[in-house]
Amino acid sequence: MRKIIDIAINDLRIVFRERGIWINLLVIPIILSVVIGLANGAGASSDTASTGPSILIDVIDEDSSPLSGQFLDELRAANANFVLCPLDNNNGDVCQLGGNTFDAAQAETRLREQTSLALLELPAGFSAALESGTNVSIVYRSNEEATAPSYILQAVQATVQRFGASIVAGRVGGQVVADLPGTALGDAERAQLVADIRQRAQTILNDQPSVVNAVIGTPQEAATANDGGFNQSVPGIATMYVMFAIFPAAVALMTERKQGTLQRLVTLPLTRAQILGGKMLARFLLGMLQYAIVFVFGYFLGVRYGSDPVALGLTMVLFALCITALTLALSTLLKNENQAGAITLLLTLTLAPLGGAWWPLEVVPDWMRTIGHISPVAWAMDSYSSLIFHGGGLADVLPYLGVLAALTIVFFLFGVIRFRIE
Amino acid sequence: MQSQVMVEVRDLAKTFKGKNGDDIQAVKGVQLDIRRGEIYSLLGPNGAGKTTTISMISGLLAPTRGDARIGGHSITREPLQAKQLLGVVPQEIALYPTLSARQNLDFFGKMYGLTGTELSRRVDEIVDFIDLRERQNDRIETFSGGMKRRVNIGVGLLHKPQLIYMDEPTVGIDPQNRRRVLDTVQRLQQEMGMTVLYTSHLMEEVQEISDRIAIIDHGEIIAEGTLGELIQQIGEEDRLTFKVGTQSVPDALLAQFKQEVEGVTSAVYERHDVTNGESETLAQVDGIVTIMAKRGRKALPDLLRIADDAELDVLSVEVREPDLEGVFLHLTGRALRD
Ligand SMILES: Nc1ncnc2c1ncn2[C@@H]1O[C@H](COP(=O)(O)OP(=O)(O)O)[C@@H](O)[C@H]1O
Ligand SMILES: [Mg+2]
Repeated sequence: MRKIIDIAINDLRIVFRERGIWINLLVIPIILSVVIGLANGAGASSDTASTGPSILIDVIDEDSSPLSGQFLDELRAANANFVLCPLDNNNGDVCQLGGNTFDAAQAETRLREQTSLALLELPAGFSAALESGTNVSIVYRSNEEATAPSYILQAVQATVQRFGASIVAGRVGGQVVADLPGTALGDAERAQLVADIRQRAQTILNDQPSVVNAVIGTPQEAATANDGGFNQSVPGIATMYVMFAIFPAAVALMTERKQGTLQRLVTLPLTRAQILGGKMLARFLLGMLQYAIVFVFGYFLGVRYGSDPVALGLTMVLFALCITALTLALSTLLKNENQAGAITLLLTLTLAPLGGAWWPLEVVPDWMRTIGHISPVAWAMDSYSSLIFHGGGLADVLPYLGVLAALTIVFFLFGVIRFRIE
Repeated sequence: MQSQVMVEVRDLAKTFKGKNGDDIQAVKGVQLDIRRGEIYSLLGPNGAGKTTTISMISGLLAPTRGDARIGGHSITREPLQAKQLLGVVPQEIALYPTLSARQNLDFFGKMYGLTGTELSRRVDEIVDFIDLRERQNDRIETFSGGMKRRVNIGVGLLHKPQLIYMDEPTVGIDPQNRRRVLDTVQRLQQEMGMTVLYTSHLMEEVQEISDRIAIIDHGEIIAEGTLGELIQQIGEEDRLTFKVGTQSVPDALLAQFKQEVEGVTSAVYERHDVTNGESETLAQVDGIVTIMAKRGRKALPDLLRIADDAELDVLSVEVREPDLEGVFLHLTGRALRD
């Protein structure tokens, strides 16, 4: 292991002596992320661009009471990107209302066309029912597409629970105060009071006042509304530049074979696994550094990477591993440095756009999206898109990670079995 | 007590697949024993199989057949133990050009398992040994050919190997640096007690430094022994060379030399065409007649007379005492030089 790390360190030292390495690692990917991000629409939806995409939720509030208003405030607080329409519409018409409001039927259409991602109906009598402790239904409807994200439903549910609990607490408190006899209480009375509150809370919590009905709508076209901007360009360009960072390992192997250092390594007391392991480790680390550079920069552009750092990290690691293994496999088919350089450049410039590194695959025709998935980039981008746009977690991206892992194993076995040093 | 034999090579053979599918038998069953502490040379013309042999002994190439043992460890079955005893100086410079001399030495030292202060002490010693203390922190790519070669040698010495092999370490360097390399080889043996396996196609240097010599041609060892033993094989023959320029020499004349002059055992004519690099026009033709003869000086007047009668104008004459060139010529009927 020691020797593997020493080989990796030595290789990285050589890489960082290359002229222009920081231009490739830092300058170009950052400029490209910005330029392509802007071209894909970052900043266009002026007031929300810097904090992330607006998530439109249509609200039909038939109650229009202080209590329903409070409920909606709670929901807004759950996610900074939530925009409740028509209430939160602004001068830029973020709700895309065109000056009108909507009724239930129109809201349905907006949902189907994915103008909005969810529809929430608060019935008349919402507050009255809450106060009297009878059951009330809030209707939540969404489009089944992956782009009708489950986190909206989760936010609504959480709000319902919190809101319900606060009502309960208030009512318990009120009742307790109302029943207080005004004078100091004895021990026995205090115990009695505690028991009393507990029992009443129990009773009230048993008829939870709100029930959420999730009504799943019919899926239509995938949403494109919020896909543009830096949220797409940062992971896209980072992923492409990870390939630019790792693929040259194939060229470096040819160079080492030509300059005889690879052959010299074989005559040293090293196993083949140590030599290959060290070389691959160096490039894997370089790929991860590339990811880190662009992602950190992306953070300053306002990109947030979702709520599951483990899933994000796994996506980065598995993609970098996959490309490292592909490089090893590739290098067994190459003959010299020039050929290696040309082929890896061609491969990067094919796999990146094909896999959705330049523009989201949601905007291309179905058949192209299907073809695009021969590129490992597509699986990584699927995962980033799920994590960054749709609030997905590890469970949601597991299939994509599985494909990346499988590709890695196939490339790696192919490379290790075929690799010849002399 | 350690065995006296450092390297045992048994029936080592390598067959390459050629471009058009036919087999190239580069090495055909080489057998040799190298004793501890000796300088052992493989002498042979280009393409004889020296590099291939040494590549198999160092574990770079898998033998098609046979095996080699270094310090008792089989290179095919216990490669790590065998390689730990071995220092390697490849024929081509094998260094990282963008790293400094010291960084190269450091890295390869670590690969030999050296660490910490032991590593830096050894690197210091090597830097002094190859006389590059001042330039140790400069990049290899800024070095002259001779300096690169010295670092190339230094890398092979880092872990104080019991055996060091050097594949044509004097190719392509100026006489001054060549002198230095030869001195280094002898210091390795005398000061550090190393066993050296040396290859070359230049008989002068092999003759100068070697304890024992194996002559290799077409993948086979055709003679082995000390210089004296090898020369004895050709019966103390002198070697006469006549330069004849552009004149052609008929076979009949060569036969006449052999038949009519006492003591002559062989007569060979060779042409060396020197072309202009770019245009490939013939710039110069050097014709050389090489004659092996017992007591060459005595045979010389007769040889010159016969040449004169045949209207062959001998431009210059050289008579040399028995040497390896003569041995090679005697064994193969060809000159060692290409
Ligand atoms: N990798 C190879 N593939 C095919 N033929 C080779 C290869 N390496 C060497 N040879 C051939 O084997 C023979 C011996 O080569 P080599 O060992 O390099 O000779 P030397 O080092 O004595 O000059 C030559 O004919 C050479 O062309
Ligand atoms: Mg050679």
